[in-house]
Amino acid sequence: MSLFWIVIRQLAELEAMATSKKLITREEWEKKLNDVKIRKEDMNRLVMNFLVTEGYVDAAEKFRMESGTEPDIDLATITDRMAVKKAVQSGNVEDAIEKVNDLNPEILDTNPQLFFHLQQQRLIELIRKGKVEEALEFAQEELAPRGEENQSFLEELERTVALLAFEDVSNCPVGELLDISQRLKTASEVNAAILTSQSHEKG
Amino acid sequence: MPASSASSAHRPEDLISRLSSAAAEDGGKLKALRELKNQIIGNRTKKLSYIKLGAVPSVVSILSSTAAEDDASSASLLVQSAAAVGSFACGLDAGVKAVLDAGAFPHLLSLISHPNNKVVDAGARSLKMIYQSKLAPKYDFLEEKNMEFLISLLNNENENVTGLGASIISHSCETNVEQKELSDAGVLKRLISLLGGSLCERDASLESLATVFKGNPEVVSMFLGPESGRALSAVTELTKDRYPRTRLLACMCLITIRNASPCYLQDVEQKTKLMLILLELLDDPGQVGDEAAFALSSLIAEKEDLQQLAFEENVVNKLCNHLQKGPLQAKRIQGILLALADLCSKLESCRSRLLSLQVLNLVTDALTHDSADVRAAACSCMKSVSRSVKVIIQNLSAGSFMNEVIVIPLVQLLHDTSSSVQIWFYLDSNVCIPPCCSKRDIGYSMQHALHCFIDPFLQVAALGAISNIVVEFSKHKSVFIQCGGVKQLVQLSKSMESAIRLNAVWALRNLMFLSDNRCKEGIFLELTASTLTSLICDPEPSVQEQALALVRNLVDGCVDSIEYVFLEDGLILHAIGRQVQSALKAEVLVQGMYVLSNVASGNEIHKEAVMHQLFPQDGSTTEPIMIKHLQNKNSQLRTAAAWALVNLTFPSNPGASSRVAKLWNAGVTSQLKNMVNDPCLDVKLRVKTALGQFMTFGDGST
Repeated sequence: MSLFWIVIRQLAELEAMATSKKLITREEWEKKLNDVKIRKEDMNRLVMNFLVTEGYVDAAEKFRMESGTEPDIDLATITDRMAVKKAVQSGNVEDAIEKVNDLNPEILDTNPQLFFHLQQQRLIELIRKGKVEEALEFAQEELAPRGEENQSFLEELERTVALLAFEDVSNCPVGELLDISQRLKTASEVNAAILTSQSHEKG
Repeated sequence: MPASSASSAHRPEDLISRLSSAAAEDGGKLKALRELKNQIIGNRTKKLSYIKLGAVPSVVSILSSTAAEDDASSASLLVQSAAAVGSFACGLDAGVKAVLDAGAFPHLLSLISHPNNKVVDAGARSLKMIYQSKLAPKYDFLEEKNMEFLISLLNNENENVTGLGASIISHSCETNVEQKELSDAGVLKRLISLLGGSLCERDASLESLATVFKGNPEVVSMFLGPESGRALSAVTELTKDRYPRTRLLACMCLITIRNASPCYLQDVEQKTKLMLILLELLDDPGQVGDEAAFALSSLIAEKEDLQQLAFEENVVNKLCNHLQKGPLQAKRIQGILLALADLCSKLESCRSRLLSLQVLNLVTDALTHDSADVRAAACSCMKSVSRSVKVIIQNLSAGSFMNEVIVIPLVQLLHDTSSSVQIWFYLDSNVCIPPCCSKRDIGYSMQHALHCFIDPFLQVAALGAISNIVVEFSKHKSVFIQCGGVKQLVQLSKSMESAIRLNAVWALRNLMFLSDNRCKEGIFLELTASTLTSLICDPEPSVQEQALALVRNLVDGCVDSIEYVFLEDGLILHAIGRQVQSALKAEVLVQGMYVLSNVASGNEIHKEAVMHQLFPQDGSTTEPIMIKHLQNKNSQLRTAAAWALVNLTFPSNPGASSRVAKLWNAGVTSQLKNMVNDPCLDVKLRVKTALGQFMTFGDGST
């Protein structure tokens, strides 16, 4: 298990203790934190894990040279992954899908939820651009069959198509789908899936 | 913008013609391939429509015609065509079939030794997809060359290639001989070392290990042997991995080890942990969550200690919560219902918990689900829950059990035809055991499949449930009869398959129990005297027993109902008499004697007819069967025989004195005198009553 997760888990356990049993004062908390001893190299691995996950290739490379910490994956793969992430963030979802399929066709073929979310994002982008007819055709051809296969996808699809029903989308109940945060959400889901498929992290 | 013009550019037919056009140079083909690949990945509907349009052979022909060359552009063509082939085969049996039919297999295999790593990746991935389907050709490990090739795959540096090796094992290793052969060839060792590899290698290794262990204590002991304690702890450690799929596979591996050699995993804490991990995995919305329920089911199936533990860990509540949260995919419902069926199969506490959680309506809904697997699982669940009469009575007052809502779908399941598909699927499962299917299901179905051609699985499950819930609730029986249940049961009682006959007769017996006259008449008319007679003379003793018990319930109650056994020249009575004289099984004799005892409670004609059956005047000098039954070591049989005597000698009847004399002559009285201190209280009481009645006619011995 990676160090990052150990730390997160420890923090979660502390938190669980706090919520389930007693209230911990700030001083107590600080004291507990001070008692946690973390080795320098573990801290370095945590930093490296962050840089790799978030896609800071140059920083990761520098950090590798300076601290001697080896990353879990080939740093070259970060570039491909970031290209996909950026494509989603800037609304070029179709391009992102093609890139993912070039990297590893298994990712979207074996992860229906991610595939649905990407297609949903494509629909959102069409609606954003006001391409109503194209959006409807896309929803019908690409997304409706997924909704038939999975009830929860159908509900999400209905929510998305509801965007078309409002004049003023900025002020409607499903307006948040058009928000930039929706793109970021989808982008981070793709990012995580690619990262998993590339993981060479030792058990 | 007219939408039609946009879509016509992407018309599937055009795309396919671009793939197969000889005129198009490589660049055009590559573009078309990539477009096809991007259209079908993740999209089941598109895959199916392209398969129908014949796209697969075009792709495979690019794959085969490019295979020989080694330059950048042909490498791209190979990568794209292998990826497209792999996607067609991914999660779709029709796709696997199309790919195999088009002859892609040998071409993909040749890519494994290609100098370009990307080509190797693409080829290995596609083959892996094919090997995930049960349609993939079986790999013969016993062939020496094949074993060498497999080991070379497992030792390859490319993780997709090692993954392929592991997939081949998971797909093709079935028999104990193959399991042993693989571990002897060093595969076990290599798989263990892959546990420390990349994510993809770890998962593949866990899955293959489970396949090699399945039902093979010998291989498991090699794994658990002296120096492999570390391997076991590596697997145990992976149950805490950060990736849900890895956790699931590690759990499944441990469960397989436990099921193969029960001495392992005795520690309560460890068992509890395993259960909690599986419950947590159930929250996963995807495939992992689906499979977690099946894993849970195989962990607890037939193991009462684990079921108790599961009850203490609130597993019933958690599973029911999932059901209530709905809507769920078929696979998920099936798994949860199976796990609930296992939980409720033995423990009353689990059943009453399930009923208290008000999920029975969801189980009932599942009885009419589109998927046959879900229907069968719902039946198993219903059967387990309905085993508890106490629980049903409690719920009857609340009106929640045994109403039209449950009975009608159950009766409909008796005609379920898709179950025949299922039985052959299970039979098939010897070729490819579904990853999480419980061993019990397979064993059960296999056993039946060997000697029957129709569909016992679903019917037997439905019959079991009906049999449990029709007992004792006379006011609801009419519902069952009205919706054609009896007709269906009678049909099934003529089945070639003894398990079906047995369960059908059992259900009819329960239906007959304490029924009113109209109800009895309805059942009897449907059943007919001749069918009932042949069931009493069935080759299977267990069917005989249930048929006799059915007659016992039929003639119980008012005197008129006794007449049923006298119809058609006493056809039924003669059959009963023959069984009482000649049956070997005590259970059959007990029911036979009770029927005679019930008949003997009727009028003079009835009593004389019973005397005739028990003491046939054929001039034989052998010991009367009544004496033998009174001496039998089975106390139930002795009780039944004594009861019959009590009914035959009731003093106020006119013919009683002549019957007493006959019984005295046959030596029955002195046998009864020997039994006044019978160890069984029931016997003792009846014997005393009988002797008391004998005495009112004077002690014949003086």
